[in-house]
Order: sequence, then structure tokens, then C-alpha cells
Amino acid sequence: MPYRNLPPDFEQRYPSVWVTVPRTLYDPAEGHRLYHQYLDELEYGIDCGYDAVGVNEHHQNAYGLMPSPNLMGSILARKVRHAPNTALMVLGNSIALYNPPVRVAEEMAMLDVLTGGKFIGGFPVGTSMDTNFCYGVNPAEMRDRYNEAHELIIKAWTSEEPFTFNGKYTQLRYVNTWPRPMQTPHPRIWIPGGGSVETYDFAINNNYSFSYLSFFGYRYAKKVMDPFWQRARELGADMNPYRAGYAQLICVSETDARAQTDYEQHVRYFFSKCLHIHPPFLDAPGYRTPATLRAGLRAQIQSAESATTLLKEGKLDWNGLIERGFVVAGSPATVRDRMLEAARDLNAGNILLLNHVGSMPHHLTLKNMQMFAEEVMPALRRESPFAKWDSSPYWPAALSGARAQGV
Amino acid sequence: MSQPIVKEYALPRDIAISTLQAGKGAPVIFIHGAGGLMWDPFLDALSERHTVIAPFLPGTGASRGLENIRDMWDLVVTYQDLLDAIGHDKVDLIGHSMGGMIAFELAAAESSRVRKIAAIAPAGLFSEDHPIPDFFAMLPEDLIAHLVYDKDSPLAKLMMAMPDDLEEKVSFIIERMTISAAAAKFLWPIPDRGLKRRLHRVKAPTLMLWGKQDRLIPVAYAEDFKRGIPDARIEIIDRAGHMVQLEQMEQSLKIVGGFLGPDRR
Repeated sequence: MPYRNLPPDFEQRYPSVWVTVPRTLYDPAEGHRLYHQYLDELEYGIDCGYDAVGVNEHHQNAYGLMPSPNLMGSILARKVRHAPNTALMVLGNSIALYNPPVRVAEEMAMLDVLTGGKFIGGFPVGTSMDTNFCYGVNPAEMRDRYNEAHELIIKAWTSEEPFTFNGKYTQLRYVNTWPRPMQTPHPRIWIPGGGSVETYDFAINNNYSFSYLSFFGYRYAKKVMDPFWQRARELGADMNPYRAGYAQLICVSETDARAQTDYEQHVRYFFSKCLHIHPPFLDAPGYRTPATLRAGLRAQIQSAESATTLLKEGKLDWNGLIERGFVVAGSPATVRDRMLEAARDLNAGNILLLNHVGSMPHHLTLKNMQMFAEEVMPALRRESPFAKWDSSPYWPAALSGARAQGV
Repeated sequence: MSQPIVKEYALPRDIAISTLQAGKGAPVIFIHGAGGLMWDPFLDALSERHTVIAPFLPGTGASRGLENIRDMWDLVVTYQDLLDAIGHDKVDLIGHSMGGMIAFELAAAESSRVRKIAAIAPAGLFSEDHPIPDFFAMLPEDLIAHLVYDKDSPLAKLMMAMPDDLEEKVSFIIERMTISAAAAKFLWPIPDRGLKRRLHRVKAPTLMLWGKQDRLIPVAYAEDFKRGIPDARIEIIDRAGHMVQLEQMEQSLKIVGGFLGPDRR
């Protein structure tokens, strides 16, 4: 959900789109228009019959305008409650940022009840930008706080009696949250991750669906999804593809050539401005464990040019972006083929579609969504390689026959 | 340079502190800053007239148990346990930067344990009038510029150096980040843990040594500290930044050595 009016020379003039992005660049009148257009688009997604519409949480950020995803989720809840096929997904609340964490239990229970049980709650750890730099959480405590918050939220959702919680970071004499969620034992939980190895275990051991949310698409996602499945095998979990998801920028047009005409400038806006982050903000010391660092550093130093550098220096043309899978773009047939290939390659049954990209205007987003919904999605459902798997452990029971895609 | 010995102390609560030690004479505990501990020419020179004991902060070097140390209070208790284990009744403290903050907290908690304190550009106070910049969010060149007076000096070049070999480079970066992570535990997001409420308990005679051109913890803080500490004096050295004891070593040694004085136990 980006701010679409950053100045053309934004990334030359300012060091970061996140944390320190000047507030003076935000025009509330423009913001008013944007919020309602984005909400219109998400509601349109419900009309299109996507399996879910989703919102997320970012702070002090010009590409993610939702510091409170629950506010946006609540607006969509009134329409979701009548939608036969669509869940509301909050992906999610950075639970260590909510004080006390029972706030998450309360608000997500409200959303679950408001939607009639068509709610999926996400528990990301949260980026270093959001957690350490914007909200001041000590990186040394991040994961510990997250684990304690998770424990408290689950207990709050499932305990029949009031209980006392004497935690390291939260001490509560009476935990007794109202309302109770509609889903039992509690709403489905998804874990959006960025590649920390600890997150795989957490998702697998708790049987939560794990989604790799990067902006570099399905080819890049392999680096994270392969180790995820490896770990699933080691821990004795099944290979249910609905246990996993990934995010993908998608641009559908009448033809492959037309897709470039329609979308290229908006995709470039996204990659050059929306990911322009002052490097130290990405990784506060202690945010990533030595194990995760070691796994990522070698590859990072070795690769001649990282994805971000290539993009920053404008060394990737439209075809380069597509070849690397950063964006899946083209005619409905092209998009369908790429997505089926990606789904098989990653064994990912849940796809988080990014139909709005960068500076994409409202009318184009609606075109993108409509073409996807009418000309790609039916084919994906029909030709899904995952028909024999049961998605219900990861999707709300209130939705019948939940399938592959999400928004 | 002489080679210090490594000595480890097992402490309560599954904490172990590794130290570097050298020298003879009255014991001086050197508490390092957020960049970690290295045996350098300053410590070496000090060890000619003192027993220098330099502990690695838990989570750095071979010191273990950081996960059992929740906050500044737990850290002070850890250093109290360490002093018990080392076995001296009374010690001098030298603290640099974050180490200065720890030294003051330790002295405030147990004034009978500390004979004298030499605080080199200590952290511990935060003023919006002359804020300490966010060194955790600086790119390497920017950080060096905030740490030293002369960014073209051999010291600056040494601080910027990195191994060429890939595996060594990876290990080096991870070690750096591990040290920063341990320091960040006590400094994040602003290096103020409330020392201002306890400074009046620092009874030991205190010297504050500062580089005039310190861009990390500006020299204005010296007056802030002096106001709070009963028996304190300030010495400022010109053409020196935050690493004053290495940037102007001769002068620093003269001042600190003179202040600590000969062994008078």
C-alpha cells in the first residue's frame, strides 16, 4: 500500500523510504484518496472471489501506509462477512510491538467475530526497521519478546478461566479476554517470514502456514523455501503445500508487450523508491542470529551483484526483471504458466498476490485484478498441482473448499 | 607489546567472564566500549605499573551468559560477582565509552569496592541539547568519522580493515555484529539507563578524560557528569576524538597514570 507521489528524485535526495522518510512528503489530502482507492481495490478483490484479501503492518514507511492493519481489516470486515469465498487476512500484527500483547488477542478476536469466522491472523516477527528502529525494541530481546507474546496470545484465546501471567516482559494479574474468537481453537495463524532459520521451526512445530514475503518473486524465494521444506522433512512434517506461501508481484495485460507498456514505470517506481532503505536499518545488531547471518552472508558477499544493487543501478531491463522472476508479467497465458511453474517449484499452495505495485494508478490495478480473476485464476484452480491436498488446517473452516490463491 | 594472559571466571547464574590480564601492581579493571575488547598499546603501557584486568562483556569474546543478564542492574550484579571472584577488596576502574557507563553504575552500587575511577568519554547520560548520534545506524565510513579525529590516521585505517578471504570475512563480520548486539543490549535505542538518578552515589574520586573533538559523545557531557558526581575533575585533550586514549596515547597515559598514582594499598 505505497504512497504513490514520491518525487522523481526521491532516492537521490533522501537516504531512506523507511524510518526517517520525511513526513513533509506526505500530503494528507492525497493520502485520503489513496486509502479509499486501496480499500476499493481490496473490496473489489472480494467481489472477484479471491480466497482472501490481506493487509499488513509497517511503520514510518512510504510504501506501507498501514501502521495499524487492524483498523483497515475492520473496515473490510463488514463486506467479508457476506463473502462466500473470501477470508480477511491480517498479515499481520508484529506481536512484540503490542503492549500488552493481549491487545492482539482482543483485536483479532474482534475481527474473527466481525467476519463470522473468516479471519486469518498473521504473526510476523517484523522487520528490523519497524521493530528496532521505529518502535525501539531492543534487538537482543526481539525474538524472546515475540515468543512470550505468542504464548500469551494463544493462552488468552484458549483459556476458559481467567489466568495470571508472570512473564519476563509482561505481567498481568487477570487475563480474561473478551470477545472469544469464533474459530476454534482460535483463528488460523500464518507466519510471514523473511528468511530467519528460527522461523521455519516455529511455523512447522506449531503447524502454522509459513509465507516467505520478499519482493523478489518466486526464483529468489527458492533460497528460503527449499531450506523450509528440508526442515519440514527433518521435523517429520508432511509436504502439504498449503503449509507454505510466497509473495509475487503480478501484472496481467492483454499481451506480453502490452504488459510492459502498462506496468513497467510502476514496477520501476516500486523497486527504485519503495525499497530504498538506508542499509543499517535493515539489520539492527542482534536482530538476526549468527546462524541466520552465516546462512545469508556468504551468498550475499559472493554474488557479483545482488538483486538490490542491480535494480538500484538500473541494470535490469523489463525482460531482466521478468527473467529473474521479480515480476510475473504478461498475457493471461504467460502469467498462468509462470505461476503454475512457480507453485510446483516451490511446493507453495498459497500465493500472496501483489496486484498493486508501486505507483500503479487505481484504474490499472482494477484492470490487473479483473484480468487475473477472470482469465488466470480459474485456470490456476483448474490446473492446480495440489488438488489432492487438504488446505483446511491453514484456512478458516467457514470458507468451503479454500484454494490456492490469496491477495 | 606484551602478551596478556587469558583468565576465565565462572560466576553464578551460568555466567562466565573471560578476561585479559597483564602487569604487576595495584589492580585496575578496564571496562571496554561498544566496539569490543582488544589488547592495545594503551592497556599495554598501563600494565607496566598496574595489574590490568580487562573483562570481555558477556556475549563478546569468550564471555558467556548474556541471555541471563536482562538489564543494567543484572549487569552490575554480574560485575560485582566478577570482583568477588577476582578477589580484590578494592580496585581502580577505567571505563571507556559504554565501559564508562558500566564503571559508574558499578561504583554507584558498591562505593566501598572502588578506589578511583578514570572515565574515558563515558556514556550513560543523554541530553537532547547535544544528543549522542545513533552509531548503530551508521555506515562504516560515517562511524569511523565519528570515532576518530583524523580519519586518515593509521588508527582509522586499522579500524576499517577487513580480511580478504571470504570465510574469514564472514567470520569477521559476524564477530563484529555479535559484539554490537551485546553492547546494544544495554544501549538500545538511546544510551540512557537512568545513571543520572544514581550518579550522586559515585563516591570515588573520578577523572573524566575526553577528546576535544569527540563527535560521538560530545565533550559537553563532561560538565553534565561533573555536576552529578561529588568528587570529579575533567581533562580534555586537543586533536583527539572518541578514541582519545589511542589517538593521543602519551598524554592520556600521563593524565591517567598520574591520577591513579603509585600503588598505595
